[in-house]
This record gives sequence, C-alpha cells and structure tokens, in this order.
Amino acid sequence: MQITERKDNDIVIYSIKGDIDINSSPQVRESFEKLVNEKAMKIVINLAEVSYIDSSGLATLVEMLKKTRGYGGKIRLSNLAAKVRSLFEITKLEKLFDIYDTEEQVCADFK
Amino acid sequence: MQEKDVIVEVKDLVKTFDGRTVLDGVNLKLRKGETTVIMGGSGCGKSTLLRHIIGSYVPDSGSITIFGKEITSLEESEFDKIRKKFGMVFQNSALFDSMNVEDNLSLALREHTELAEDIIKIMVKMKLELVGLRGFEKLMPSALSGGMRKRVGLARAIAMDPEIIFYDEPTAGLDPIVAGVIDKLILDLGKKLQITSIVVTHDMKSVFSVADRIAMLYEGKVIAEGTMEEIKHSKDPRVQQFITGSPDGPIKFFMDSGGYLEELTK
Repeated sequence: MQITERKDNDIVIYSIKGDIDINSSPQVRESFEKLVNEKAMKIVINLAEVSYIDSSGLATLVEMLKKTRGYGGKIRLSNLAAKVRSLFEITKLEKLFDIYDTEEQVCADFK
Repeated sequence: MQEKDVIVEVKDLVKTFDGRTVLDGVNLKLRKGETTVIMGGSGCGKSTLLRHIIGSYVPDSGSITIFGKEITSLEESEFDKIRKKFGMVFQNSALFDSMNVEDNLSLALREHTELAEDIIKIMVKMKLELVGLRGFEKLMPSALSGGMRKRVGLARAIAMDPEIIFYDEPTAGLDPIVAGVIDKLILDLGKKLQITSIVVTHDMKSVFSVADRIAMLYEGKVIAEGTMEEIKHSKDPRVQQFITGSPDGPIKFFMDSGGYLEELTK
C-alpha cells in the first residue's frame, strides 16, 4: 500500500493506493497522526486506487474524523469504488463522512 | 459457475473412529460468496466434516483444498495464516464467561494484530451494530439471553473480517423467533459482506432460509447436492424423508428388533 501527499493551497490531499486492511491500516493511521499533529484544517482522502477496505480501515478513518473534528478540521473522501462505497453503506458510515465523486469537487467545495 | 470461484474443495475424504467409518468418501465444493448448508441427521458426520475443514481433525485419506492450498498436510504455522481468514460460530456460542462482550470481541484483534486499542474499540462497536447489540459492550455473557449470546458469537466471528464463516448448529436450542433472527443475520452478513458461509444444521426451517446450496450427508457420504429448489424436488427418498421429518422411510432410526427377546433372556 502507498500513500502520497500533496497540497492544493491550504488543502492537504492524501491519495491511497492498495487495499486498506488489518495489515496496512496501522500505516494509514500513522500518516493520519502526522496530519492531526499539524492540525491540518482541510483534508481530502482520495480512495480511487483502493479496491478494498476492511473494518480496521474504516475504523481508522472514523478515528481520524473524530480527531480532526476535535480541533475544528474537516476531512472529506473522494473517488470511492463501488465496492468500497457499499462497505460505507453497510456500516452506515456514509452518513458520517462527506463523500464526493471526484477530488476536484471536494477541492472546489473547500475553496 | 466457474471453477475459479471454488474456495473450498473436499475430495474423497475418509475418517474412521474406533473402526466406525464416519466420513466415507465425502466430495464437496464450496463457492465464494455463497452460503452452503450441510444438512443431515445426528451422527451423519456433518460436524466431523466441518472439523476437518477447519483443521481440527486430520483425515485418514482424501484431501481438502482451501484458497488453492491443500491443508491436510500443511505445517501448523502455514495453516494458521489460512485460519485467520476463518470465522467460527459455535453451537454453544463459546464466549469467555470471565470477559465482557467487548473483550470477547477484542481478544483475537489484540492477539493477532498490531491494531491500536482505540481502533479496536471502534471496530467492536461496528460489529455489534451489525448484529443489533451496540450498547451491550460492558455486559458479561451471563447477563445475556441465549439468542443474544449467539449474536455476540456471530459478532466475534466477524471481528477479523473473515472470508469464510463456519456455523455449527447456529439455531440449536433457540426459540423460533430468535432462530429466525439468527437466520436473517446469517443471510445479511453473507450478502452484505460477501462472506462465504458454511452452515451445519439439521434445522430444516433454517436450511431453507439461508442456503444458496445444500449438501445432504448420510452415512458419511454426500447423497445429494444442489440448489434449494433442486433439493426440495429431489427424487431421493432419503432426502424427502429428512425434509418432511417422517419417522418412516429408508432412513432407519431404530435398530433391527431381531434378537431382542433372546438378548433379554440369555
């Protein structure tokens, strides 16, 4: 699994490539902690290249959401594959997260 | 259905206990995302078959292939990697009575993963929500009804996001409504999470509620295998007798009475 980070003005965009599962989610968490420590206010997680996310991956995103909300930051998700999106629906998390079809839409909304 | 979808394949499996042949050449294929019910009367070998698939028993002969690997001769450490993809729902729920619900669900995650405790807590809430028991985290198993214990057992079985769940008599000892709830959960989890399920049961209502495919085991052999409709319309009188629960038919429940009086008086 690979995580790349880039910036669009004050927006931090994380692109994740590969499955997020019990083995890889601690790595995702570690990267997120860095953002939380920096108190990043606008975060986009692009999941275009994630074909599967298990419950540890979902829990990692939930924890990230809790922490960013704690200091007034915002985290939004984009480009979810159909299978990944259905996992958010099954676990009712689609109501918890702001989910966008494309990264451009999130960034435009943030601006 | 293409052959590549088969994730468990049992071939010519034979097991004998103390001279009694319990499995007598079992052949069975389990396909990804499907719920297969193994049905049959008490003592027909269905639980023994299940224990072979999960690696608790070694067969006398035959093979079992799971995810393309032959498991009967696999090193324990190699088999452990496959076992992590299994979830197991036991007949008696098998909860640890000294641990609360949250700890019962967390145990495998703490033992087998590097996940942080905060992440595990969130996962436990998600699993309990799936079985309708969120809010029961701090209760001890002794405070739960039989049906609730069974649901906790189910939540624990999915704690590690398994690819296959094995259910051993999941509705045994439950009232019809609670049994229906468990059947619905088995169905929901299979369909929603795309989990392959193997259910061992003799509860016919449960069989026809949850099965995509059914295999009937009798005297250590699979005597019928097919979809629900194929089994319902099977011409095999043994299958029909089992479905209708008739005491009369080719399946005998009593020993031949010959020699009874002689045995009493000898």
